[in-house]
Amino acid sequence: MSDSSAGKRLIVGIGDLKAGKSPDEIVTTLGSCIGIILYSAKPKVGGLLHIMMGYSSQSSKDGNFKKTKYADTGIAELLSVLKQEYGANPGDLAAKVFGGANVLQGITADIGAVNYSAARQVLESYKIPIVVTKVGGHKGYRISFKLETGEVLCQRLGEEARVY
Amino acid sequence: MPKRILIVDDAAIIRMKLRKVLTENGYTVAGECANGLQAVEKYKELRPDLVTLDIVMPEMDGLETLEQILLIDEAAKVIMITALDQRDSLMTSIRLGATDYIIKPFEDERVVSTVQKALESKG
Amino acid sequence: MDKTHKVDKAIELIARISIDRASQSFSKIIKSGAKIELESIFYSDVTALTEEAISLKDEEVIGAFVNLAGDAPFRFLFYVPVPASFLLADLILKNEPGTTKELDEYAKSAVQELGNILASSISNTFAKDFDIKLKVTPPVLVTDLASILLQEYIINAASGKDRVLVIKSAFKVIKFGLETQMYIVPTAESERILSYLENFL
Repeated sequence: MSDSSAGKRLIVGIGDLKAGKSPDEIVTTLGSCIGIILYSAKPKVGGLLHIMMGYSSQSSKDGNFKKTKYADTGIAELLSVLKQEYGANPGDLAAKVFGGANVLQGITADIGAVNYSAARQVLESYKIPIVVTKVGGHKGYRISFKLETGEVLCQRLGEEARVY
Repeated sequence: MPKRILIVDDAAIIRMKLRKVLTENGYTVAGECANGLQAVEKYKELRPDLVTLDIVMPEMDGLETLEQILLIDEAAKVIMITALDQRDSLMTSIRLGATDYIIKPFEDERVVSTVQKALESKG
Repeated sequence: MDKTHKVDKAIELIARISIDRASQSFSKIIKSGAKIELESIFYSDVTALTEEAISLKDEEVIGAFVNLAGDAPFRFLFYVPVPASFLLADLILKNEPGTTKELDEYAKSAVQELGNILASSISNTFAKDFDIKLKVTPPVLVTDLASILLQEYIINAASGKDRVLVIKSAFKVIKFGLETQMYIVPTAESERILSYLENFL
């Protein structure tokens, strides 16, 4: 993949988000976690949120928790960052959702399916259209989100890499 | 007539290792099983002279399998082969009726000597 | 990464002794200059730990996950690049290296059984030397990118916490240049128990 400009390459670990603008690239890998990409074509800005769990009500009630771990508080955070730092409104955005694989069959329940369901419901509550859904299965996802085009290169073991 | 041994371990590589050392030392491998449920059924079918039995296995662990085999045949000779070198597990297996035990990782000579001793013992 | 070295002495001592025993077991089954060395013990934010893993060259690995259940639950993980599992199978079976050429049942089983033996060594040390009763569950094998295995492992061990204690070891077969990682992570509940042990050591 060519990297012809001075864009940043941002890596997102679990329970975190990164946002940027063209020609940045945002990368993560996903097992049971869900990666939620929000992109605005005008201006070319967007972000990637890597959630571990569905709803923050599962967590402590005192408000002192890492908001980017959860679909509800995490998506709210990402929307806030995109609005305040990059001037993108929810109405400008489309979502692409990846991940939710059941990697540890035999050790854990299918958390990925639960995470995806929560992410979808929260995005629908903001009326953000989900234009790509690539979730499930038993192998993880490596995704690379290009802010120049809004395209996401998705790689998984046993599958050809595809652009979404 | 070579003595017949049933090998029970969820790891194919351990079953292969045991098969090699036993056949190279004049024993016949009557059968192999990957879990305790299979082992109980195979024991009934094959009535081997001796069983080698892992402890940590899915479906049914080695201690429960040992109990089931001894219900079928109280004189069954069973050697526990396990990575768990903990007094309570080992004493439990002996108390339940195991003939002996071998700790993994094992030396081939230890397997041969333990099997020979078990087959020669009364009961 | 938040690497603080203010790890309780109890935890460090238990880790060193456990890794040493695991190394002896590893050497016994593999020979060929096999050993495990404690590399580092640190507290890490789960985001930072996984961000680092994602940023590295990410290859296909096969890993064994083992739960150590009991008085002070731990999670154990070791993984090797897929081709290295072929070598491990050959060494365990005393075949000529190069005999195993694909991820067959013996290569998978080699990783599974090493997971069992190493996790059991650690469990045995806890039981004998520190009177902490732990039993291992049958290893679960997973093949995927290294960062995916590590993420799932950390999520499972962290149980919702943002920070974990990581005991990281280097797992080496010197004669064949194989070097990979082994991880032991106590659950949050275990950290309290291990810290309490410092009073008695």
